[in-house]
Amino acid sequence: MKNDSKKSKKNSQVVSASEVGFEEVKTQGLSQGQIIRRKFFSHKPAVAGLIFMILFTIFVYSAAGIHLGSDDAKITIHGWWQFSHEDILDPGPCADGCPSSVHPMGQLPNGRDYFAQVTRGSEISLMVMVVIGLLGGVIGTVVGAVSGFFGGIIDAIMMRITDFIITVPSILIGAVIGYRMGNLGVLYLAIFLGLFSWTGLTRLVRGEFLSLREREFVDAARVAGASNTRIIFKHILPNSIGVIIVSTTLLLSSSILVETGLSFLGFGVQAPDVSLGVLINTHQGEFLYAPWLFWWPGVIIVLIALSINFIGDGLRDAFDPRQKKQIKRKEFLAKSSTRDAVNKS
Amino acid sequence: MLAYIGRRISIALLILFGSTYLTYQLAAYSGDPLAGIRESQDPKKEQIMAELTKFYQLDVPPPARYFLWLQKALGFATGTPDFGTSAIMRLPVIDQIAEAIPVTIRLVTAATILAIVLGITFGVLSAIRQYSRLDYSLTFLSFLLYSLPIFWVAVMLKEYMAIQFNLFLVDPKITLVANGITSGLLAVVLAGFVSGTRRRVLITLVSSFAIFMSLFYVLSLTNWFRTPGLGIWGVAFLGLATSVGLTHVFAGLHNRKALYAGIAAVAVGVAVYQPFGTIVNETGNFGILMLMGALMLSVSYFVGYFFSKIDKGPIIRSSMLSAFFVALFTVADRAMQAWPEYYRLSDGKPVQVDGSYNIAMKSNDFWVNNLDIATHLILPTTALTLISFAGYLRYSRASVLEVLGMDYIRTARAKGVPEREVILRHALRNSMIPLTTLIAFDIAGIVGGAIITERVFSWKGMGSLANDAIVSQDLNLLMGTFSITAFLAVMATLAADLIYTALDPRIRIRK
Repeated sequence: MKNDSKKSKKNSQVVSASEVGFEEVKTQGLSQGQIIRRKFFSHKPAVAGLIFMILFTIFVYSAAGIHLGSDDAKITIHGWWQFSHEDILDPGPCADGCPSSVHPMGQLPNGRDYFAQVTRGSEISLMVMVVIGLLGGVIGTVVGAVSGFFGGIIDAIMMRITDFIITVPSILIGAVIGYRMGNLGVLYLAIFLGLFSWTGLTRLVRGEFLSLREREFVDAARVAGASNTRIIFKHILPNSIGVIIVSTTLLLSSSILVETGLSFLGFGVQAPDVSLGVLINTHQGEFLYAPWLFWWPGVIIVLIALSINFIGDGLRDAFDPRQKKQIKRKEFLAKSSTRDAVNKS
Repeated sequence: MLAYIGRRISIALLILFGSTYLTYQLAAYSGDPLAGIRESQDPKKEQIMAELTKFYQLDVPPPARYFLWLQKALGFATGTPDFGTSAIMRLPVIDQIAEAIPVTIRLVTAATILAIVLGITFGVLSAIRQYSRLDYSLTFLSFLLYSLPIFWVAVMLKEYMAIQFNLFLVDPKITLVANGITSGLLAVVLAGFVSGTRRRVLITLVSSFAIFMSLFYVLSLTNWFRTPGLGIWGVAFLGLATSVGLTHVFAGLHNRKALYAGIAAVAVGVAVYQPFGTIVNETGNFGILMLMGALMLSVSYFVGYFFSKIDKGPIIRSSMLSAFFVALFTVADRAMQAWPEYYRLSDGKPVQVDGSYNIAMKSNDFWVNNLDIATHLILPTTALTLISFAGYLRYSRASVLEVLGMDYIRTARAKGVPEREVILRHALRNSMIPLTTLIAFDIAGIVGGAIITERVFSWKGMGSLANDAIVSQDLNLLMGTFSITAFLAVMATLAADLIYTALDPRIRIRK
């Protein structure tokens, strides 16, 4: 290979394109990363989703501030919004708590500012989502890679463990962590949910590894003396990164629905913490006379999940080399008929 | 093969053992079942606690107590499986589960079937017309539905499909503006399915708008929403329209035999319209309905059989589908006749928000009672269908697209097979194989319950049992519901694998 490229370089130096009469066209080869990036950025909904997610995250975290740690050692950075979600305030200009200039999303019956509640809730939901997604992504990739690559007895054991994890219901984990164990806090809930949410991704990654390890380039690497670690990390993983990234994205969007669903049932995030699901659960009864309390968190959940799904779709398109625009039958027939006409004439 | 199944089942049992063990420990260590009594001021507190401890064997630590539970659950102690007694209801767990399963099945069956049929239909359509307006709209719709939290949808459905609709029914007059907006939306949706030139789309848009407008106007004028019905001519017209439409899709109108077979099946259906009415008025029950449905389908099978000499498939399909829909319209028409009576008995709230049936409904009429059940089903079925529809749409679209890109499809097209045959006979069958896994898992997940849906609409199914069990620390009830769910999940994995091997000859079981 190396020799070939050297030779061709030499040749191109000797006989340049203009000398043989061709017009010199400068085209630069694209790297794999560039192709993927271009494809992704040409997918408009995905780009819109990405921009929304970035802006929304910055907006929410800057508005509500950052709260880390437990009650003993709390690190708090206040945001730019004047109220905190725990402040109990006097009724604003609008008596029934409807949106006003002071409280853009209205007020709760007990006087709390709803904008502060919603931003804080979004913050927690986003955090839970990212933790579940990352944990699920990492564990899923590792388990799937190991069982797909080594196969045999390791594969069988790993897959049975996966089957076993599938049967453990996430609602029970939520109940144990959030509802019963003295309320361990949001982070533990997220971590435990993450520990049980990698099964779908594992199956996909395993399938990818199963087919890739049979390919010639893996044999070539092995003959050249590469170790298993090297083959996994340098040869197979880069080839299956598309599947991993795409399904991790989809895991993110499903995990925000899992968290809000659990919180809605009362098994997820617990008071005094708020999350978008908690907000919907608390205010579903007020749908008729204070509909803004119900609409805001719901719309935000939908927007987050929708943007992430679009990002995932864009990534899938970008990573899938087989995705080409299919020739439609009509176009095909049209082409062949013009070809026939040309041939006949 | 048998050895393979045996090995898989033994592994499945092992997994079940592990998962029930873990669930038991998680649940047992998650809280104190005696907490409620410990805090009470009851003078006989100590005695009650001692009794409960003895009854539930709380003195045995959970890792060991699990085996006592397992021993009973497998029926070693008494010969029959015994999941213990539930703490809240003081009833045997197995009875509670037996009561809850039919409710859950009733809740999710219609939604699952609807989601599968609609999802696959639109998914295939979306794939065939890849990168068309329809494809983009369906893709967007599926993403939107995928992102909707079901509890949020449910609250909205309660408001707009039940409360507002019931208010509308008090005086069902459609104003001209409302009619215009509704017809406009319906026409846009309908026009979205039409392919071809801009002119063709525009014609469809305008004509369907006019038809919908006048239809709603007539319905509103005749007070149809309070006294609905189709009548024999309505059944005949709808039957013919569906028959021709289905023939167009599945066989093509140039296939005259299929067209005539479909029309003949509709004619048979219309002919039995009157006798059907007489029979079900005298004895209305599901047995009779099933029997007549089966009769209708077998008659239509023979109708199709006699119309065809070669290539019987599409012709029989056409006549059977037509017969099915005519039967459906006939039954719907009969149910509609019971609507005024049902409306009177339901106190002006025909679409119900809560529960699975109206306890206050006092009627001996088969149709009125089933209308009651149906109207209770509308909201949760819509919510569940909306949510799972998106998944089926995405999967079937991707699967059909993958198959359509294969070489044998190109071969079929190249040798001149009509496009309809390419899709229906070559592509569709193979593309449905991967969906079996999805369907198997969905059906297993069903019985575990739609916990959120059951909670929002106050149904008492498996989901609400699990919910109650967790809230009230009811270990036996919890284990009962979760072992059944886990069992079904494990069996679904096995079933999915076996069906997959049966459907796809390329996959062989490794011995």
